[in-house]
Amino acid sequence: MRAYLLCLLISLFPASIYAAVVQQEMRSGIGASADYMAGASDKPAVLLLHGFLQTRDFHTVASLGRGINDAGYAVLTPTLSLNVPNRSQSLACEAVHKHSLDDDVAEIARWVRWLKSHGHRSVVLFGHSFGSLQLLAYLSRKPDPVVKGYVGASLVETQLGQTDRAALIALLEDRVRSGQRALYTGSISFCAKYPSTPEGLLSYARWDQTRVLDALKQVPVATKLVMGDADFIIENNWAKALQHAQTPVVIIKGANHFMDGEHEFDLLEHALGFLASVPPPRPR
Amino acid sequence: MKGPRPISIKHIGLAFVTGLLVLVSLIGGFSAYQTRALTHNLAQHNHDAARSELAAAVQRLLSQTEDLAIQLAEWDETRQQLVLPEYYPYWRDQRVYESGILPSRLLRVALYTEAGTLLEPGTANLEMPASLPTGMPAYQPSTWLSNETGTIALYHAFPVFGDAQRQALLGHGLLRVNFMPALLRPDALHFVDATSVSVALKPGELLSAADLLSRLNFSARTDPDQLHFQTILSRTLLSLFVLLISAALIGFLVYTRLLIRPLGRLSQDIDAMQHGRFKPGPSHAQTMRISELERIRRSLYEYQLQLHELHGSLENQNREFHSQARQDALTGCHNRRAYEEDWESFRQGLKADPQGVAFLLFDCDRFKTINDTYGHAKGDRVLSLIADALVMALRANDRLYRLGGDEFATFLARTTPGQAKQIAQRCQSLLDASVFSDLGINEPVGVSIGIAFCGSDEIEHVNDLPKQADIAMYTAKQPGRTRIALYGEDTERASQTLVASRETSALFQALASPGMIELHYQSIHALPGRQVDYYEALARIRYHGTLIMPDAFLPVVSSRRLETEFDLAVLQQVDADLSSGQLPPRVGISINLSAQSISRPEVVSQLLELSRHNARHPLMLEITETSLITQMVEVRTYLDLLRTVNYRIAMDDFGTGYSPLRYLVDLPVDVVKFDISLVNKLAEDNRAAQVVADFARMMSDAGYSLVAEGVESDAVLRKVESLGIAHVQGYLLSMPVPLAELAAGHHAGRGTGVAQSG
Repeated sequence: MRAYLLCLLISLFPASIYAAVVQQEMRSGIGASADYMAGASDKPAVLLLHGFLQTRDFHTVASLGRGINDAGYAVLTPTLSLNVPNRSQSLACEAVHKHSLDDDVAEIARWVRWLKSHGHRSVVLFGHSFGSLQLLAYLSRKPDPVVKGYVGASLVETQLGQTDRAALIALLEDRVRSGQRALYTGSISFCAKYPSTPEGLLSYARWDQTRVLDALKQVPVATKLVMGDADFIIENNWAKALQHAQTPVVIIKGANHFMDGEHEFDLLEHALGFLASVPPPRPR
Repeated sequence: MKGPRPISIKHIGLAFVTGLLVLVSLIGGFSAYQTRALTHNLAQHNHDAARSELAAAVQRLLSQTEDLAIQLAEWDETRQQLVLPEYYPYWRDQRVYESGILPSRLLRVALYTEAGTLLEPGTANLEMPASLPTGMPAYQPSTWLSNETGTIALYHAFPVFGDAQRQALLGHGLLRVNFMPALLRPDALHFVDATSVSVALKPGELLSAADLLSRLNFSARTDPDQLHFQTILSRTLLSLFVLLISAALIGFLVYTRLLIRPLGRLSQDIDAMQHGRFKPGPSHAQTMRISELERIRRSLYEYQLQLHELHGSLENQNREFHSQARQDALTGCHNRRAYEEDWESFRQGLKADPQGVAFLLFDCDRFKTINDTYGHAKGDRVLSLIADALVMALRANDRLYRLGGDEFATFLARTTPGQAKQIAQRCQSLLDASVFSDLGINEPVGVSIGIAFCGSDEIEHVNDLPKQADIAMYTAKQPGRTRIALYGEDTERASQTLVASRETSALFQALASPGMIELHYQSIHALPGRQVDYYEALARIRYHGTLIMPDAFLPVVSSRRLETEFDLAVLQQVDADLSSGQLPPRVGISINLSAQSISRPEVVSQLLELSRHNARHPLMLEITETSLITQMVEVRTYLDLLRTVNYRIAMDDFGTGYSPLRYLVDLPVDVVKFDISLVNKLAEDNRAAQVVADFARMMSDAGYSLVAEGVESDAVLRKVESLGIAHVQGYLLSMPVPLAELAAGHHAGRGTGVAQSG
């Protein structure tokens, strides 16, 4: 199967170069873009979201998007602006982070609407790593009804390292309440130094494992989680915790957090399998 | 022909060292010139390289600045700040550096709005201009420099677009670079002297980047390698120069020590040898380091030693020769040569040191007789004994000289006449004490001593001492004397006679003026017929009209030893008389000669000249028997010679002298003239008359032709005739007459005369 997919990817690779860049102004002066690769109309469109501070050009996302599109699915791979106008580069940990999870959810919603506005009646949200969390956050609010499925690869909560999450949240909440605008430099995910607005960091810090598990339980669409058993970024018990969340979880043996290398195909295989299970959109 | 002047080896050495130094200096100067040219070229090359390097550095800085500007313009966070500038200071002051976009705090960046005004002007960013320069193109980057109170700032403004199509201009970025530190990074410039770089830019003036190079002032950095090379080269040249100078000086010192000094020493030694000042010493034995010079030194030294030894040997030999040359071989005393040298030296010394001087002349009495009687060997032995006795009698420092034959002399310094006489008497005493009997000589042997003295106040007469001593000596020899005569005292009579008398003056005038000597002729008659056979020429001196007789002037002749001069004058007058033709033809002439004259060549020569008259007038020479003939061999030789030219030889005054028989035996005597003292014995009736008579007969029998002189009485004449004596002479028969009277008498057929001595 992997060999087949690989051959298919190679043979259809030229098609990916015809992806269109879609731009939207998310907020005043903050434009964001996404690659849109058209697919079969009888298949759900896939909104493929990159990980923390990454762009759609991140290799796992890019190759997965091409693989899914190659399978005939329309794929939209937005790059979250993170409040950077027309962001095209990974945002450094040390950069000024003026974005929040709410902004991210809002941009996801904009892109879902964009798909919807472009005729897609069935949308599957496919996130990698922190993108899975951002999509889950979107799904935890009132998602658009065109969203039919959710795949979270290497789903991870907002990791704060050794920081006492509760204390941090309290601190940030206090700053937010007191209107302090000074950047707070904390630790989040792989960023040891993360200067952010208090409300931005606070929005992410609230998403701990518990909240993720709770959100998973409340996801209103078909859900599938793909995890790697060699993912050293997540905690050891996280995968087990996910399995107990009554959410289908696929563990790819040997895959790390980025599922690169040959595990990209495993991820693609599982993704295509999930997409195939999503009911096709009803014709108008 | 004058050759080139020799050059000292020291000068050659100096010239070599000087030439070497000049050559080294020329090479050093040439090297320095080449080094300077090379340095200039390298400096020019460095300057060009510096210019290129500086241009490249400027270009590189501009490019880097542009690259940074591009990065900033394309950086998401830059755009974010233009849209959401809430945290712009954080981004500007921290983020751009932490992100690595701006590598250095020397770089500053500011963002400007689309209108060109500074973003967030309220924040502290005093270095950046509040607005971008007017006229700057909005969509193109722009670069300029500004002098901000001495600090040159490079500004690069760039547009920041919100989209990839560069359509949506969000604003501008402005990079500020502290130009000089950024340009002059320590590792960026190798050829440019960073401290020399400056930009000719007035404060507040803006300078376009295109005009930057023309405003840059700089100096090329001196290449360390070049400096190192120059230093090494200079040090090498200096070291080489010092080394060569040192080597030259050391070489010259070695040259001086090994060659010049030894050669100089050899040269000095050779000069010293040439001038006889060389004295071998320890320094001359010092070994020289150059083997060739050492061989020369050794050869020279050994040669000089040999020469020195040879010289010493020659000096010894010379001294010996000199001593021998001054010594009489027979007697061991000093010879005539020593006498002449010493007397001359003594006389010279007297000028500076006047003193009383006595000159003593010794003459052995009857030595000829002894010599003839006992033989030459014993005669020599007698002389030796006499010399020994005289030397013993003299004072320690007095020298005895043998002047010739049996004649000795000495001169006594710092003496008086009395002391001189005492010494003379001591001489005679020692001589009298000498034993000659051991030689078989029984008769007494003595010396006659003539003394002449001159006091310290009459040194100018010292030259007369030998002559005066001679006169005194002959005075001493006169019979009846004590055989010691002091000139001026014992010769007082003679002095009075010879010096003060007019006869003396007459004698000297006669010797100086021909014609004053006048010859009177006394006839000699043949027996028994009594006819005149020949005439004896008798000398007189006519002085101021009066006639001075021989007994008055002959002592003067004898005492002044003027026999030869007087005889020559007589012979001159004889020649004149014979040549006058006044003498009767074939009448012989008998001429008196002293024994001293007959051995003088000039007298013999005059006689040979006179012999031309022999054909007309047979000539006969009468030699006075009383004269002491010392040179018997020479006299005999001359007499034989004269006989060959038909002279006849007569022994005059026979019976009065010392060795009549010896003379008769050794000399070629033809005629013997019996002295008047013998002839007068014949008139007596005693044994003496008998002896004379017998002797006369014996002489006749022996073949001698006898002449009886001084016959003044008939008794004597008859006795003479009875004895068979061939000729007779005397006042009885005739008186000596002048030539004119003789000639007149001859013409008158008679012979007359005036009485005189024979």
